[in-house]
Amino acid sequence: MTMRASIWAICLLVMAVFGGAQLVGGHTGIDADFLSLIGQEQTGDGTTPDDIHTVRDLLAQDGRQAIFMLFSPDRTKLETAGTHLANALSTLAGTSSITLPGQGADRLNELMDFYGPYAHGLLSDTDRETLQNGEGHRLYRRAVQNLYSPVTTLGSQTLQHDPFALLPAFLSGLGDKLGNGAGIIQRDGQFYLPLMVRLSPDLRQTGQDSIWVTGANDAINATLATAPGLKIAKTGQVFFAVAEATRAKSDVQRIAILATIGIVLMIGLVFYSPVPLIGALLVVGSGLIAGMAAVTLIFPAIHAIALVFGASLIGISVDYALHYLVMPPHSGTAQERIAKIRPGLSLGLLTSVIGFGALSVSPTQLLAQIAVYSVAGLIAAYISVLCLLPLIPCRKVQTSSPIHRFHHILQTGLAKTRTGFIARLCLAAAIFAGLMACLVVIPGNNDIRQLGHGNPALIQEAAQISDVMGIGGQPLFLQIRGQDGEARLQTAEAVRNALTPLLANGSLGGMIGLADVIPSIARQSENRKQVNDGLYRPFADQLSELLPVTVAAPDEKAPFLIFDDRAALNLPEITGLRLDGSDIIRLRAATGIDAITTAIAAIPDTHVIDPGATISAQFAQYRHWALIALGISLGVAGILAIVRYGLIRGICVFAAPAGAILIAVIGGHLIGISQNFFTTMALFLVFAIGADYVLFLAESRNSDHNNDTHLAVLLSLISSVLTFGLLASSSVPLVSDIGSVIAIGLVGAWFLAYWMTAPTIKNNKETPRDT
Amino acid sequence: MSKIGHITATALTAVLLVCATVTPPHAQSRNPAGIGQDQYLQGQFSMDRHLAGFDKPLTSEGEFTLSPATGLIWHTITPFPGMTVLDDHGITRIDDQNNRENLAGGDQFRPFIELISAVLAGNWDPLRERFDIVQQTAKGNDPWQIVLTPKGGSPIAGQISKITATGTQFVDVVQIAKPSGDRDAITLSGQELHDMPLPADLADIFAGPAN
Repeated sequence: MTMRASIWAICLLVMAVFGGAQLVGGHTGIDADFLSLIGQEQTGDGTTPDDIHTVRDLLAQDGRQAIFMLFSPDRTKLETAGTHLANALSTLAGTSSITLPGQGADRLNELMDFYGPYAHGLLSDTDRETLQNGEGHRLYRRAVQNLYSPVTTLGSQTLQHDPFALLPAFLSGLGDKLGNGAGIIQRDGQFYLPLMVRLSPDLRQTGQDSIWVTGANDAINATLATAPGLKIAKTGQVFFAVAEATRAKSDVQRIAILATIGIVLMIGLVFYSPVPLIGALLVVGSGLIAGMAAVTLIFPAIHAIALVFGASLIGISVDYALHYLVMPPHSGTAQERIAKIRPGLSLGLLTSVIGFGALSVSPTQLLAQIAVYSVAGLIAAYISVLCLLPLIPCRKVQTSSPIHRFHHILQTGLAKTRTGFIARLCLAAAIFAGLMACLVVIPGNNDIRQLGHGNPALIQEAAQISDVMGIGGQPLFLQIRGQDGEARLQTAEAVRNALTPLLANGSLGGMIGLADVIPSIARQSENRKQVNDGLYRPFADQLSELLPVTVAAPDEKAPFLIFDDRAALNLPEITGLRLDGSDIIRLRAATGIDAITTAIAAIPDTHVIDPGATISAQFAQYRHWALIALGISLGVAGILAIVRYGLIRGICVFAAPAGAILIAVIGGHLIGISQNFFTTMALFLVFAIGADYVLFLAESRNSDHNNDTHLAVLLSLISSVLTFGLLASSSVPLVSDIGSVIAIGLVGAWFLAYWMTAPTIKNNKETPRDT
Repeated sequence: MSKIGHITATALTAVLLVCATVTPPHAQSRNPAGIGQDQYLQGQFSMDRHLAGFDKPLTSEGEFTLSPATGLIWHTITPFPGMTVLDDHGITRIDDQNNRENLAGGDQFRPFIELISAVLAGNWDPLRERFDIVQQTAKGNDPWQIVLTPKGGSPIAGQISKITATGTQFVDVVQIAKPSGDRDAITLSGQELHDMPLPADLADIFAGPAN
């Protein structure tokens, strides 16, 4: 016994050291970014994976941007404050670059050099329209004025390839399309100044985002203090993510403290001794250590959601500990007590392992991580009960304890609810039918936007920035597929034409695609022809008379501007606009997706990507796999129960956790909880814990420790409800929903476990013992 | 990326040019000084735009009006009539048929308008952030000279390599050298200082077309 315990303790120690070294040493990362959660699947589905990969990449890029909008009726103070804030933000670790209005003059030469040789094929939308309307003379007059203007774009270099000064107009239009906060806006007596911050790519992955946000808020407050009347709004994924995480963390910490106090009190009130608490901690702790060691061994990075769900196996492993701890000293030696609970414990473990193991058959890394963590953790907890708890001094449950008395009252009350097998089988049938009905009647709602709390202040600020600046807001993209890049660019140009009315009426704030930066060859060729016909032929001679150089029509067959490495180097803004086999158009401040969808309906190979909808679809797929795994678990558990207890009693035993799931689903639905991936995962816990309850009771029902097992199950219920029930009080819908579903389900599991395993009543008489 | 980036750079040269131009007529002073917000300056200009590799410069002549409170009107008369207006609305070009084209948002250009005012008021601080300024005080009847060199790393350094303004009572000549080898030489004459308000025709130019 001691030898086994020592070996197991050493194993736990090794696992703890290994897991700690993996995490502390950085060999295994903890990823808190939900974007990295998606798109990791190896599905062969035709369109969804592309979308999710696209969305992940694009949102990751957007996530690196933070937008500040300063506004004040005093322009001078506003600009001073903008510089002050920019300086303060630039000192923060994680700030990559800052853009203020008026900056970027240093890029001019680079852009002029890059675009210069192709200038006669690059037209702004306005110039293109002017030429199409046969008004080339207007562009000629502009070119002449440019020669003598004090603010000219003319130079000896530009004169060679762009005597009609078309390129500056193209660049100006491009700046507007990029929508990087073109400048200060005056509206309703206020001046608005945009300040764009580019964040380091690893800021969120390394978990430093909260530090950056704290620093940014300090910088805002310091800036506000310098200019009375100044206001600052901010938006960006980083602010929402940190606000959500902070709130969730605060809730969970508060709940964890309350739950821990509650469980300590509960065990103290039952045993009047801290020793059983140590035993419970040993079992729970060994489960957590083993789970962590397993995932760090297998996966290079663990997602925070997997950790949270994995850690919730505390709720299961504490059942194992309590099952042993409530055994009275007089029931035998430590080994004899272990022998009494081992069958129930083993069946409980087997059921849970099957349940969580079923998750690993899904192609999603998240579910696989949860499966590995849970299976390894529960096996370790099981071994700890068998090897370590017998070494813990046995403490007797105090009959004078209020919980013991409460248990007695409950037992008396529950005894009155006993029924015969027929009623139980009818209920079991109703449960199975109910589960099937729920799948059809209660629809899933996987909209991820409903999972967060949604900071009202941040939402308001984002709306304000979107309204004033036309930037920020909900991201929306168009994806263009096509055989080759040229075809996609031409399609993108058709898309811009189709969406121009929406841009004009304000229902679309702006858009930028690769074709805006590098027009299609067809467009460039068309532009060249228009420029030659509309400008060079009628006006080249006139312009030549004013210049020290002869202006000649450019060669329409000269090399065209194309997307290549040089373009990507000169134009980092186009990063991510071309993916494998598709081009992306970013839409800004879109007020409605329907109008956009309608406008582009006739354009082939183009479809709208709504990140929120796409990610929600991904989580719907996760839920789909979780439901399949839950179904497999229920099926296997049913077979095990029938094999172990016979057909009728097996069905009754199996019906208890199934009924708990049904109660959790219906109860959750009645209080307005949507069925999503996370609540489905909560059902897994309900199933696993509920199976423990009923198996413990079924295994002990004919033994002399039946009453002890009932008490152990009650204590387990109290501890679980304390833990998960308090989660229901969280202000974060995701956390609250999980807690509510588990709490409701476990109460149902506890009652059904008792009811389905209690001695049956025949002809109003209690059967002495069912065998 | 936006056009304003390079236009403002070029415009700064014009701003500085005019700043140096509007030296008040202190008969005994040989240093440039500012003018008040309630004054405006008018005069004539001749600009030779020398392009590297070409012998013959582009020469233009015309009139200018500068109001620190309102902005600058650069009215080219020969060889091709046209007007460039720099004010709170940005940079606006007005052609010989009175067609207006707004080249850049005024909000972005406004710092340069403010630079004019700052310089006219004798406040060189806004320029010192971006330029090394060497000022040579005139002695006797010698002209004074101010040399502005963009500081290293300043975005403006990509557009301007040096600005030299010389004058006596007013600025007589401004030389603007560019990294490309191009340079503008602007000769100013006939400057007169007036009290605001602007004449109606000039005020209308700043005000723009009535909507």
